[in-house]
Amino acid sequence: MAALVGLRACFSGLQLSSPSLLHSSFKLCAVPLSRRTFAAEAKKTYSREKPHVNIGTIGHVDHGKTTLTAAITKVLADAGGASFKKYEEIDNAPEEKARGITINASHVEYTTANRHYAHTDCPGHADYVKNMITGTAQMDGCILVVAATDGQMPQTREHLLLAKQIGVEHVVVFINKADAVEDKEMLELVEIEIRELLTEFGYDGDNTPVIIGSALCALENKQPELGVNAVMKLLEVVDDYVPLPKRELEKPFLLPIEGVYSIPGRGTVVTGTMERGIIKKADECEFVGHSRSCKSVVTGIEMFHKSLDRAEAGDNLGALVRGLKREDVRRGMVMCKPGSILPHQKVKAQVYVLSKEEGGRHKPFVSNFMPVMFSLTWDMACKITLPEDKEMVMPGEDTSLMLTLRQPMVLEKGQRFTLRDGNRTIGTGLVTDIMTMTDDDVSSNWG
Amino acid sequence: MSLTFLFRTLTRDVAKVSSLNLQHVQSLHIGSQLLAAEKALLMKLRKSTGYTFINCKKALEKFDNDITQAETWLHEQAQKEGWSKANKLEGRKAKEGLVGLFVRDKAAVLVEVNCETDFVARNEKFQQLVKDVAFATMAHHNNKTQSQTGYVKTSLAADELNKLSVGEGPSLADQLALTIGRLGENMSLKRAVTVGIPAEWHIGSYVHGGVSGQTEVAMGRYGALVVFQGGKQGEQETLGRKLGQHIVGEAPVSLGNMDDLPCGESETRLLPQTFLGDPSRTVAQFLRGQQARVLDFVRFQCGETASDAAE
Repeated sequence: MAALVGLRACFSGLQLSSPSLLHSSFKLCAVPLSRRTFAAEAKKTYSREKPHVNIGTIGHVDHGKTTLTAAITKVLADAGGASFKKYEEIDNAPEEKARGITINASHVEYTTANRHYAHTDCPGHADYVKNMITGTAQMDGCILVVAATDGQMPQTREHLLLAKQIGVEHVVVFINKADAVEDKEMLELVEIEIRELLTEFGYDGDNTPVIIGSALCALENKQPELGVNAVMKLLEVVDDYVPLPKRELEKPFLLPIEGVYSIPGRGTVVTGTMERGIIKKADECEFVGHSRSCKSVVTGIEMFHKSLDRAEAGDNLGALVRGLKREDVRRGMVMCKPGSILPHQKVKAQVYVLSKEEGGRHKPFVSNFMPVMFSLTWDMACKITLPEDKEMVMPGEDTSLMLTLRQPMVLEKGQRFTLRDGNRTIGTGLVTDIMTMTDDDVSSNWG
Repeated sequence: MSLTFLFRTLTRDVAKVSSLNLQHVQSLHIGSQLLAAEKALLMKLRKSTGYTFINCKKALEKFDNDITQAETWLHEQAQKEGWSKANKLEGRKAKEGLVGLFVRDKAAVLVEVNCETDFVARNEKFQQLVKDVAFATMAHHNNKTQSQTGYVKTSLAADELNKLSVGEGPSLADQLALTIGRLGENMSLKRAVTVGIPAEWHIGSYVHGGVSGQTEVAMGRYGALVVFQGGKQGEQETLGRKLGQHIVGEAPVSLGNMDDLPCGESETRLLPQTFLGDPSRTVAQFLRGQQARVLDFVRFQCGETASDAAE
């Protein structure tokens, strides 16, 4: 018994030194990364969904972003948390290129002891912005790769500017190619300089983790200090420094309504897929959208013809609601926690307009263009107003613009939508701001 | 003597370390190869010139910490390094970049310069290069057409562009190599078109996807020049801009005739196309209303020729 206590004390001591986060059940295996390697085999059967984090690399073309990505997969493959991807596999993704696929970011996934990561590496500014808008790869954090041989490049400013613009709050720096620099003092100077630059761009330059290493060494199994260990250290720091995004379950519940049914003897049932949050029997709810709103109480939840007490985000369910007629609610409205969401008529959005190759229009559009906006389960005609310094939008471009809906619908910051014109999808977007209607908007003609 | 010297450098070392806010840098190399004073000089040189640490260090060593000499040497070296870098990077795909437009009363130039990523296209140094190319091309145009008064349109390919130079300065090829050395990406001067017109004609222009902060030379991902006659007095500029916008947007391939009948969505002749600014009319109808006549146009889309070649 005493031995057991001693062992546990040992473990808790280890926890303190490691990037311990998350669930208490996880803490037991939160030993430092170097130890995880050896225990990986034993743990393989113990599968549990790890929290997911999106991460990306940014940096100059020759500073070794792809090599680093390859090195990460290699190091983690040895630990059983990834499958090793060769440099060429990440770099080219030839089949995607051949199909002219829309998202030309390469995607790699791997698992550390604590988290599951999706790793993105986009070649250009426009690609990052596009990914942010379409939601394929919102980045929760990113790794800035700088080669020790060159130090930061003039365009590193542009890289950081982008990170700020797409809302990446946590940057970790990896100083690569340290094996190619003989004088270790130089590494220090590179580090000082990058910290200064980070501070200049509003990041916490003094406390940003900077890891010095060489991705090539890790790939070639040379100089473990700079190679494997540095990559391990980097992953550990990323685990630690980039916080988990707020999970959907913790937010107030939202159910976009797909269908409304009236069941004789029971009442009205609304169906749909839970967008976020948790819903329980006897929860109060509110129906919003299509210029209507009403309150009610959930009296029953069913999934696959079985009744259940609570439903979570992602569940496809039917909810029985008290005292509502079938005509009171319709598809396109949402059922939500009272007061948590409001309908709006005018929003500012960041939109990516599909190019012709991606199935979009081949022509540009100008202000007052009227597509149909689709979001959640609703669709509504809307009018586009371009920002003042922009006269038209070409296919394949991203832009910020103003959307005025014909009727107020449920919209909130961060909500995604699609714009369609006739039978063609012309673009996809992200709500960035809610605007108030002016008199001009109200009196404008809807054709 | 040597003792006092050692002491002095040591105290300076300490002072430097604290002033540079180094407490978070784990200094593993206590027996440092670089003295602090040199380090400060190195930082200074790197900051003022932007050359890599390694080169800055080389320069300082070479001239025994004389910062002015080191700087001159670095500049000389940059040209050489630019060329070697340019040779090394040659062949890498460069299809991002900028289209630059420079208009001066009766003449205009449209140039395209390519680079590998749009990050670089957003960088000042690259934009400066585009500007230099536009000015050099304009100067070239002026030299060649002094005696002529009619309509002159010249297309310049990459190798012709490389030979031009800004004023008395280095050739554009040298400038290009220098920028490549600085930004570390492959770049190329793709193409240029110059247009000179007789007094009573007008040039309209439009650049799309613009870069803010550039005033003299407009830059963006698309550019168009349109040469036209007529138009209402005082409204020619707006008219030219509208036409330029249409050309950028609808990408016509040829001019067509005023009386051509439009043939649907895929119309590639300018005049029968539906006018972008007013979908109820064709371009020809719009021009009649403005009493104007389009004589010629040029459209550049950044990276379009590069992708054609790849296919």
